[in-house]
Amino acid sequence: MVQRHSTRGAWLIVLASLITGAICVYDYYTPETGLIGTGGVILVAMAAALMAVAALVLAFVPNRSCFLQGFLVVSILLDIIGSSVAGYFLESPIIMAAQALALMGWLLNVIGDVADRSVEIDDAEDL
Amino acid sequence: MPKTYKKNKILVFGAFGLAAIAAGIALLPAQNATAQGPNNDPPQVWDAFGGNQQAQKYSTATQITPDNVKNLKPKWSIHTGDVSSGARQTTWGATPLFVNNTVYLGTPWYRIVALAPDTGATKWTYRSGGADGPPENQGLKNRGVAYWAASAPQAGQPCQKIVYIGTMNGELHGVDADSGKRCAGFGKGGVVDVNAWAPKNSKWKIGLLQPPAVYKDTLILGWAGNDWVYKTENPGTVYGIDARTGAMKWTFNIIPPDMENQTGTGNVWAGISVDPQTGLAFLPTSSPSPNYYGGDRLKEMPYATATVAVRAETGEVVWSRQLVHHDIWDVDTNSAPTLVDIKKNGRTIPALIQATKMGFLFILNRNTGEPVYPIEERPVPASDVKGEVAAKTQPYVPYPEPTVPETTPPVSLFADIVSFGECSRWKARLRDDGRYTPPSVRGSISWPATLGGVEWGGGALDPTTNTYVVNSNVVPQIYTLVPRADADKKYGNALRDKDGYAAQQGSAYGFKLENFLNMWGMPCWVPPYGTLSSYDINTGKLNWKKPFGQVQKWGFYMPESWGSVTIGGPAITKSGLIFIGASMDSRVRAIDVKTGNVLWKHIVDSPAVSQPAVYTYKGKQYVVFAVGGNGILTPRLADQVVAFALP
Repeated sequence: MVQRHSTRGAWLIVLASLITGAICVYDYYTPETGLIGTGGVILVAMAAALMAVAALVLAFVPNRSCFLQGFLVVSILLDIIGSSVAGYFLESPIIMAAQALALMGWLLNVIGDVADRSVEIDDAEDL
Repeated sequence: MPKTYKKNKILVFGAFGLAAIAAGIALLPAQNATAQGPNNDPPQVWDAFGGNQQAQKYSTATQITPDNVKNLKPKWSIHTGDVSSGARQTTWGATPLFVNNTVYLGTPWYRIVALAPDTGATKWTYRSGGADGPPENQGLKNRGVAYWAASAPQAGQPCQKIVYIGTMNGELHGVDADSGKRCAGFGKGGVVDVNAWAPKNSKWKIGLLQPPAVYKDTLILGWAGNDWVYKTENPGTVYGIDARTGAMKWTFNIIPPDMENQTGTGNVWAGISVDPQTGLAFLPTSSPSPNYYGGDRLKEMPYATATVAVRAETGEVVWSRQLVHHDIWDVDTNSAPTLVDIKKNGRTIPALIQATKMGFLFILNRNTGEPVYPIEERPVPASDVKGEVAAKTQPYVPYPEPTVPETTPPVSLFADIVSFGECSRWKARLRDDGRYTPPSVRGSISWPATLGGVEWGGGALDPTTNTYVVNSNVVPQIYTLVPRADADKKYGNALRDKDGYAAQQGSAYGFKLENFLNMWGMPCWVPPYGTLSSYDINTGKLNWKKPFGQVQKWGFYMPESWGSVTIGGPAITKSGLIFIGASMDSRVRAIDVKTGNVLWKHIVDSPAVSQPAVYTYKGKQYVVFAVGGNGILTPRLADQVVAFALP
């Protein structure tokens, strides 16, 4: 069943993934980071790209199925957790901070969705 | 699951919650530098591989202190261009020398670079040509250069100060320290063909990776071999060489003449230290060939895997002490002994500290070779290999406390679980009788193994307090002998194979060396994998021992409590700091001598598998690292020289 879902927080997640991607590019090519040419950075960059795609779907497809909504929300959360752990072991506080930003976006999206649904139900009861 | 892992898992999630705060802190501008320390440090050179000929790696500099070291910044950094991978992979463990108001470095392409100590600007470079042609037994490997100065220099004449570099094809080059031009009076046109002096059983050209030691007008030179591939190889010989002319003054043979058709090597491939007062040179000797099967060399060879004191100007043996009998583990004596004057019961004992791959600190009277702290002969396991007769006892030093645990580290539950039990199953198949378990056909856990224990960097000593610091590995490895028929069937005439095979051709067994890692490349034993220890040599007491360094895999840093395998060594300063690279994670560190706590760290281009130099020039203290990497640790190689100083 297709429903209208919240798009709140999606752009915050996009921003976080862009920051993560940019940091990964910098880390990958800069000797001073200690991460030059490492697979861990590529892994985080790929995760950031996937997160960006998922967030863009959140932003541009408000009318989506419950399944897609659930899939995106769970996937992004797993991505955030995985990237945060990776950021910790890469000793990259900026990646971890970007994931904190993404988590804020994720929470906005989930809370916003619940709030929107409450308003819709209230509206229906008013009728 | 190991406690350390649990703890760090908690930390991971704790850190996640604090990520934004951490990032904020990281983005804050760095604190301004605090005031510098006193600028009245006495002038001091760093003119030998071990800092001085006594291999103490000690600096009297006091400008950089535990309080201000956090402000240390790169002052200059250069890239020599001498780095390569693949079949011509470079391994660079040079100690930068500071002498003659110049920083001198040898490179793994066998060039000498002379740099301005305050800017890193190139004064001159010398190209030996030693890297041309196919790599010989040691490949492209260099540990720096040596320096000699005439005691009564002739004004206006060149080559009153000479810098020496050895090459992989057995040449020793002598170059004027001021101009970088070859010294015509040294050998033939500035080159001594040392390889030509070693024609017996010549299987490969000897590798002069380690710079010679210098005593007055004599160079004391050893060489590196390839003792895994043949039974009979070049017999290890140490040369005394005239520093001016390059003429051979004396030789010292580790292998007895009547054994030269049965074995070889036993050479000195590590640093050599010299007592400037007595003129004794202290030689750390290696194991005879082939490394892991001694059935063809059962006769005692007392100078092998030993510390031998010879007169630096004649090569005459004064004393020797074997540290491993009938070495079948490749646990060469692998670092220059550090000279120390021990203060004990109101007496001063002229001593040396010989750290070993077995993790022992042999502390010997350097004039007599007698132990200052007792050495016990303990029974060790017998060999079950046909033809092999392992020594019945081995020297054991219970005090000072060894740098490694007494028994083989247990299997890591974490590594075992994630490999579905691979680690424990593998260990169950192996022979493991603790220290000195002989190699076997079914496979033995060697503990400690050829990677040490203490590696070639050795330790550093503050002679004012007799505090000795040393980094050490905690690495069991798997030794398997392969019966000749099986080896020939599987490997044919190959001398080496990527799976760790070495032919030991001419003997009854080939050999396979394996690292005890699971399918994911994780160590199968519990951490730490490397430590840094501090000892009071006057009392023999261990001050502290801590995990040192960090493992970095695919960019991910493992917990600090795991430590790291290390190659290279520390330097120590009067102000109470230890400077050391050596770790797998491409960081150099400053450590508080009193506590062992890391006070500062900085990322460099690759693991700094070397020993730093510390010097003061024009009132400013510098700490310089050669950053070259080593394929044994990680594939990340580099050609960086970086000097740190306070702003």
